[in-house]
Parts: sequence; C-alpha cells; structure tokens
Amino acid sequence: MMFSRMLISVIVLGVAGGAAMTGAQEEDVVAALAPRAETLILARCSVCHTPDLVAQQRLPKDRWEATVQKMRHWGAEITEEEAGLLVRFLSARYHPGAPDQLPPLDSELRKAEPLTQEPAAEGPLVGVAVRGAGIFEHNCQACHGTGATGGFGPKLAKNPILKHEDLFWETVLHGRGPMPAWGAALSHQDIADIHAWLLTK
Amino acid sequence: MSDSGALSRRTCFQRIAFLLGGLALWRRVQPAQAEPAGVVETGPQTVRVMRPYDAETPVREFASYLTPNHRFFVRSHFGPPEAALIAEADWRLRVGGLIEHPLELTLKDLKQFERITITAVVQCSGNGRAFHRPKVPGVQWERGAVGNAQWTGVRLRDLLAKAGVRPAAKHVQLQGADRPVVTSVPLFTRSIPLEKAVHPDTILAYEMNGRPLPLLHGAPLRVITPGWMADSCIKWLTDITVQADEAKGYYMQTAYRVPVTAIQPNSGLPGTSMVPVEAMVLKSLIASPGNGDEVGRGPVTVQGVAWSGESAITTVELSFDEGRTWEQARLVGEDEPYAWRQWQFLWKPKAAGSASILCRATDSAGQVQPQTTAWNPSGFLWNGWDRVTVTVQA
Ligand code: HEC
Ligand code: HEC
Repeated sequence: MMFSRMLISVIVLGVAGGAAMTGAQEEDVVAALAPRAETLILARCSVCHTPDLVAQQRLPKDRWEATVQKMRHWGAEITEEEAGLLVRFLSARYHPGAPDQLPPLDSELRKAEPLTQEPAAEGPLVGVAVRGAGIFEHNCQACHGTGATGGFGPKLAKNPILKHEDLFWETVLHGRGPMPAWGAALSHQDIADIHAWLLTK
Repeated sequence: MSDSGALSRRTCFQRIAFLLGGLALWRRVQPAQAEPAGVVETGPQTVRVMRPYDAETPVREFASYLTPNHRFFVRSHFGPPEAALIAEADWRLRVGGLIEHPLELTLKDLKQFERITITAVVQCSGNGRAFHRPKVPGVQWERGAVGNAQWTGVRLRDLLAKAGVRPAAKHVQLQGADRPVVTSVPLFTRSIPLEKAVHPDTILAYEMNGRPLPLLHGAPLRVITPGWMADSCIKWLTDITVQADEAKGYYMQTAYRVPVTAIQPNSGLPGTSMVPVEAMVLKSLIASPGNGDEVGRGPVTVQGVAWSGESAITTVELSFDEGRTWEQARLVGEDEPYAWRQWQFLWKPKAAGSASILCRATDSAGQVQPQTTAWNPSGFLWNGWDRVTVTVQA
C-alpha cells in the first residue's frame, strides 16, 4: 500500500519535471522518498562526514545536483539512479525556503516499515567470497580498513563476531552506535558475500 | 590506499570524536529528542559538523582579548592525522622544491631558529556563510569561526633563507599530515605567493597562547599568515615545497576562490575571473550583550571586537535605529597590528521592549564595513554589519 503511494508520487514528480512544488507536494515527495534516501545518506554519505553537514544546507535543485555529483566523483558509493533519488529528496526537503529547524534526518526512516525482509525468510544464503571483497571495498573499507584490519571501526578480520552470525547480521543490518545500518542499502546476498569474504581473512 | 596497519593506531581523540559523531546520530533516533539536528548550543563551542569536527566559538567569548585554546573555533577538512604521523619522535618538516639545500627538520631543529610571538586574528574564510542570500553550500558558519590568539614559532623566511630559494620560485606550497578517509578525495594542499611566505610576520607556530599547539589546531606545527584568512594557515604541517606555480588540485584551484568583480547571485561559476581568498576584510562583532538577552534600563555596556586584514581599526560605530544614525564606540585595550581591537559603548536604552544593536567599523585605509557583503558562489568573506537583538526590561 505504502509502496504504491510512493510509486505514484515518484511518477507524478517525474512528470511535473522542473516545475516548482507546493508545500503539500514537497511533503509528499519527502515522505515517499525518505526511507530510501535517509538510508542512503546515513550509510553512504556518512563515510566521510556526519550527515549534519548535509542537513544544514538549504539549496536549490541545481546546486544539490552539483553537490551530489561532486560527492560521487570523490568516492560516494551511489549509483546514478540513487543520485537522482537523493537530489529529488534533498531539494524537496532542504530547499532555500525550508525552515531553519527540521525534524532529524532519520525520523521518517524510523517510522517506515523495513524495506527488506528478515534473512530467515529467504532461507539460508550462500555467500560468495570473491564478490564480498568488492562489496566490502566499496562500503566498509573506509571505516574498517584495507583487508578489514581496522580503522575508525574495529578490525573485522578474525573478529569473533564472524562466528556469531546472528550478532553479525544484527549489527550490519541495523547498525550500532557510529556503525551505519545497511539493511536498506545492501541486499542480503551482498551481506552474506561480505561475511564469506571476511571469513577468508 | 592508506596503510591499514597504521590505521588501527588512530589517536584516541579521533576515536572519541568519531564516537561523538555516532552519539549525535544515535541521539537523533530518540523520539523525545526534539533539538535541532547537529547544533549543540551549550558548552564551550557550537558544533556545526561532528566529523570531521567543525565548531565555532560562542561570541560571548570575544569579550576577552585572547580566545582560549579550548574555545577557539575548529575547522577540519579531514580531522587530525594519525597520531603516528605527528608524534614528535617521527615528525619531520621537509623543505624542498626550487631551493639549493633540501631540509628535513625535527621540532628541536626548528626551535633553533629565532623564536617570535605574534598576536593575530585567525578566521575561517567561510565565517558568516550562513548570512549570504541566496544561500550557498558549505559549513553554515554564523559569527564565531574566528578568534584572536598569541602564536609563537619561527619565521618561514628564516627556513627559506637557510634552504636557499632559487630565482624561478614564485609560490610556496604547504601540505599537512591530515588525510581523507577515502583516497579519492583530494588532499588539502594549498600555496601562498612567495612574497607572503617571506614576509617577516609569516610564521610557523608551535605554541598557541603560550601552550604547545593543541592537536585540533594543528600540532605540532601550523602556518600563521597574519592578516590573511585561515585557508592559508595549514595545520599539521609536514611539507613545504617552493615552486614556480600555485598548488594544483581542488582546494587551491577550485575551492577558496572568489570572483574578482561582483557577480549576480546564482549566476554560476565565472571560471577564469576567480582569485584565491587571501587578505581578511574589515569586520566587527558585538560580543555582549548576546542575542536574545534581557537588559535593564540603566546604562548597558555594549562591547565587542573589530579587525581588518592589513590595516588598523580607526572607528567602531553603533546604531540603535537600523542604521539611520551612528554613535561612536570607544576603542580600548591592546593595539597590535594583526590582532583585533576591543571596543566599548555605554548605552542608555530609551524605551522598553525589543531593540536591535548594529555595529560597523572603519579602518585606516578608509574602508567602511558594508551593510551586506557581495554575494559569491561559496559564501566567503562575509563582513556585513553585525546585529544583536535584545529585550529592554520595562
Ligand atoms: C568520499 C567521501 C565523501 C562522501 C562519501 C560524501 N562526501 Fe560530502 N563532502 C566530502 C568532502 C571532502 C566535503 C568537503 C569538506 C570540506 O572541504 O569541508 C564534502 C562536503 C559536503 C557538503 C557541503 C557542501 C560542499 O560542497 O562542501 C555537502 C552538502 C555534502 N558533502 C553532501 C554529501 C552527500 C549528500 C553525500 C552522499 C551522497 C556525501 N556528501 C558523501 C566528502 C564526501
Ligand atoms: C562510517 C563508518 C563505518 C562503515 C562505513 C562501516 N562500519 Fe562497521 N562499524 C563501524 C564502527 C565505528 C563500529 C563499532 C561500533 C561500536 O562501537 O559499537 C563498527 C562495527 C561493526 C561490526 C561489529 C564489530 C564488533 O566487533 O562488534 C561489524 C560486524 C561491522 N561493523 C561490519 C561492517 C560492514 C560489513 C560494513 C560494510 C557493509 C561496515 N561495517 C561499514 C563503522 C563503520
């Protein structure tokens, strides 16, 4: 249900093109895009800086576009499609006329239904270590270091948590303290692949 | 790729700063927490970005001539470097490029050069960015990304003299030990023209207000270019390269530039007509009373500071009628070339209710602080009149 409303708003927005939005339309866009957009910001944009740097801006769409492209160029791990979604969300929420004070970045996210199912529902996944290496490099290495030997985040190679799969999944899916939640950014296969690769380290 | 072994030896501070970043995130998920995202108003500093740490000094601190180290604003591009890179035993300052004798100096070697102390304002080029209209991207600094401190160190020119600068030299490139978490992000590499580098007041500082330079302020060594904005004041300095050209890369060729002539707001980047942000502009601030304070009907001491890059402050004026008439404040305290000048004014409010105090300065070059600053795409060099709004008790 919620999904179809989301889809409709996204399509409407696409058709409306560059035309200015009313306050109500903005709210719809924000609500529809928030779960994915906020997940991306917390997971992908927080690698280099906390999201407070994002939330304090009030920019028109073209400057959001330029900013998101600059971040991709510098190494933010987001696809073209995700970049488009982020620009729509950011320019609907953090536009020049938006109030100085807005609800915290992930308030919508916390309300939303999880976008992914629990791992158990998919049956046992078989991780592929060679794939995991690449996924780790793009998503985790900035904090956990090359070869998972540690950095801002703890060393993951030979970390006992790898043997406690439930705890590993819990931490990666939902985050913990400064560790971002990956549940909506990575597929379960991706996480299983990372896990398989970590076991080889 | 960065050396992963060294990564695990990150400083304790970084770890704490990082956890604080996480804590800020975590606190935001608590439903009861309705505070504005990211802005911590109490405490020694107003935090703009948790990681890398960017925080400004509450303006009330500017009632004192020197800004204390722990309150002094912090601007980091990537945060402090790994402890190992700046530990005194291993840290070296290298001087290379267009010179006769490459140098590699320990902190002890460096301290053999003549020791000098200069009091100077250090100000982020983006201080006041939040006041530009239309709004521009970047850390939304308000009034406190500035401070006045005593810097002790050695003259850059003394080092360059020892190294022997070759005739083709025109610029001096400065590089610190700080590194981005992802290597595809450009390094914070800057350069200053040779004339500024050999100016007798340009120093490499290892002390701040009589204490060893704190980690957040660039330990063990940072550049101080008195009269210039802080984009030249490289922290955690490790490499000085004398060269024919300006530094290459994003932070010198794209960032920290302003249009030479005024441009229409939002007219895009004019490209070739952009020049590096260098000298500070004339500016003044009201330190007390503070915004939103309640004041009595009796005389109220209004006080603050004023400074100008390379000129002296001649007058500071206040207006209580939105700039129609101005009254002159009294300049007080120390009068040193690159420091700020303190001023005071005894105000007798005429009526109860809300009142706005405006402040502007004039310098020895005859410049008057403008009401607002010319718009520029990155929001640098804001120096519009300062304003504080208070309530006068009945
Ligand atoms: C690979 C590292 C990295 C990632 C990932 C990243 N950023 Fe940035 N971001 C930076 C750097 C570096 C700066 C400039 C910091 C500075 O100089 O103060 C910056 C600055 C910004 C700014 C301030 C405006 C500006 O242009 O300086 C915004 C807004 C921003 N980032 C948004 C984002 C968003 C949205 C994402 C996720 C799509 C993101 N960033 C991901 C590195 C990154
Ligand atoms: C923004 C930095 C950051 C990124 C990116 C990041 N992590 Fe973490 N991670 C951390 C931090 C910090 C901790 C420690 C959390 C704590 O102190 O509770 C952590 C903890 C963990 C733990 C628990 C370790 C233990 O000893 O309990 C696992 C597992 C983990 N991360 C996996 C990952 C995976 C897999 C990825 C990529 C999909 C990833 N992390 C990306 C910062 C990060």
